[in-house]
Amino acid sequence: MSFLPEVDLGDEFQPFATLDEVRGSIPKLLRAQSLLPRVIEGHAILEKAVRLDRGVISREQKERILLCIAAARHDTYCAGLARNALRLLGEPDYRIDGLLDDHSRIDLPVVEVALLDFCLKTALHSLSVSSSDIERLHQHGIADEAIIEAAVTAALAIYRCTLSVGLHPEPDGEPWKLPPTREGSLPEPAAHISTRKRPQAGPYVRAPYLSPQRFAPFEKVANSHGFIPNFFRAQTLRPDLLSAEVELVTLVLLPEDVLTRTQKETILLAVSAANLNSYCVAIHCNLLRGLGVSADEGEQIALDHHRSSLPDADKALLDFAIKLGSKFPEFSLDDVTRLRAVGFADQQILECEVVTALNNFANALQMGLGIEHDFEPPLAFEQKKANLCAALDRRTTEDSSISSVTVQVEDSDAELTAQAQAGSLDAFEELMRRHSRLVYRALAAILGDPDQAQDAMQDVMLSAYEHVAGFQARSKFSTWLLSIARNKAIEYLRKRKNEISLDEAPFREDQVFRPRELRAWVDNPEQAYSRLEIQQLIEKGIMALPAKYRIVVMLRDIEQLPIEETARQLDLSVPTVKVRLLRGRLMLREWLAPHFAAGSRRAAQ
Amino acid sequence: MITCDEFLAEFGDYLENRVSPEVLKELELHLSQCRSCHVLYDSTRQTVQIVTDSGSFELPQNVSESMIDQVMAKLRAERA
Repeated sequence: MSFLPEVDLGDEFQPFATLDEVRGSIPKLLRAQSLLPRVIEGHAILEKAVRLDRGVISREQKERILLCIAAARHDTYCAGLARNALRLLGEPDYRIDGLLDDHSRIDLPVVEVALLDFCLKTALHSLSVSSSDIERLHQHGIADEAIIEAAVTAALAIYRCTLSVGLHPEPDGEPWKLPPTREGSLPEPAAHISTRKRPQAGPYVRAPYLSPQRFAPFEKVANSHGFIPNFFRAQTLRPDLLSAEVELVTLVLLPEDVLTRTQKETILLAVSAANLNSYCVAIHCNLLRGLGVSADEGEQIALDHHRSSLPDADKALLDFAIKLGSKFPEFSLDDVTRLRAVGFADQQILECEVVTALNNFANALQMGLGIEHDFEPPLAFEQKKANLCAALDRRTTEDSSISSVTVQVEDSDAELTAQAQAGSLDAFEELMRRHSRLVYRALAAILGDPDQAQDAMQDVMLSAYEHVAGFQARSKFSTWLLSIARNKAIEYLRKRKNEISLDEAPFREDQVFRPRELRAWVDNPEQAYSRLEIQQLIEKGIMALPAKYRIVVMLRDIEQLPIEETARQLDLSVPTVKVRLLRGRLMLREWLAPHFAAGSRRAAQ
Repeated sequence: MITCDEFLAEFGDYLENRVSPEVLKELELHLSQCRSCHVLYDSTRQTVQIVTDSGSFELPQNVSESMIDQVMAKLRAERA
């Protein structure tokens, strides 16, 4: 019996027809998702693009990849699925058995063995993939197009295996038993994960520029995510596979008829964190911010969702997803029963499983192709990851040690902060001196009034003193102080009854800004003005910006915080900050142009 | 060659040095061919430079010192 009930969709159901190569051969894995036809549609699109459509790698080769990965995960169902496909393609049983026994000993071409090894590593030990693995493939003359196809095939294997654990479908065709697989043929992950932040520099494959205006899937992603993640940009050599992935994401993540988008993003975040995938943690923290979840809450979910402020049911949902996505050998029907008991319907449980499968697809593919970060991952998560990897290295792999790893962000203020928390006024005073400029600028930016900023500063300092004992070193002291300043400034604005919104517009900022002033500027334009004149000009220009641009320009260009830090301070996603920063800069450019453009009054002298 | 709209779509990341080598190549090719985008790029880059170098919104040292002194005096008085 499968874990979840099925409904009869009929064999005419379009996605089934797509995959029905031999009449009646629709895999039970797809039928087991019948409570939610759109996810079957997504799955079928992926299967078709990766497996059935003509690519660079032969079908037999891809089925062998799927078979070996399933066997290595001891997934009898998925191994059987690939075995059936290989038999249909005419592969004799003795070769299939040989493949399961040891793929390097049957007469596969050296090139195929290399690709198969790469796929196994990508699927099973993705954290240990590095640029040298790709170099080896290049030495065998394997083209980037084929490497992408192989990595996506490996990721598809993981997608299938995750679903097969979660759904537990009946075998297709006659019962068959997976022979005991050899152990220890693959490197242990810990041996390869170093505690360095980026053990390997990606990207590993070429990624020619593809315009969102000419490639519809990119336009779709830009609309749903607010930007085009490197995850997609890195696969531009294979628009066919990209299109299928975007369709899958669209069908699984965007509809809100079963789970909400926020619930799905938290699943993606929590499972990526459990898989120690920094790239995906960074991206989902940002997408959650775009959905109105604060930076602190997002980071807490990545670190330990039990300590987040999510409702208990959602915490149970994440427990379920993490087990399925990251500790699958422990997963059983009991986990499904437990979710039902806290009130989730079967449709929601199914969607949670599919989202988890999609997450693991993305985690594996990102590591396999060495896709570069879009944003810096949260510091606290990176430190937890480093601690975990160090713990793995020492082989103290008790589960309990993992969740109890304490996380403290490195902060040059840490010592003073501790003293201030213990009651030292001198330490507190020094902290205020260090950060008064930052606080003042943030206040001036939000209030749009330097004089009022001075008044508010005193309140900020008093409030900081009052609450410093409760500060937890999960973020930097300056970050915490700035959040007090921000709240204080917003309080002032409310008093002024001059409501402003620094909030996020969900995934879509304003349309493209059209520059008006297009005269070239003179060289070294600022030389025509005194420092004081320039300062006044800039301050006036910045104060004239709408508040949401002003604060971003103030933190990034005046205070020179990194973009990630600016976004975190403001509880905005990085893509939103980038859009507002550019807009603010372009508006300032228009403001300065009359003074600095060639032919303007002073600059011309 | 990419269009001006495509250039503008990557412009923010370009100013922040956050584009891939392949995209960078396209952008630089466009800049070498399109006068108005070149002017836009050049003047925006200068704007950022000027804004960053301006040291704007610097609270005068004596103002900030005396403000901190006041607050600390208040806190020390409460403590005493």
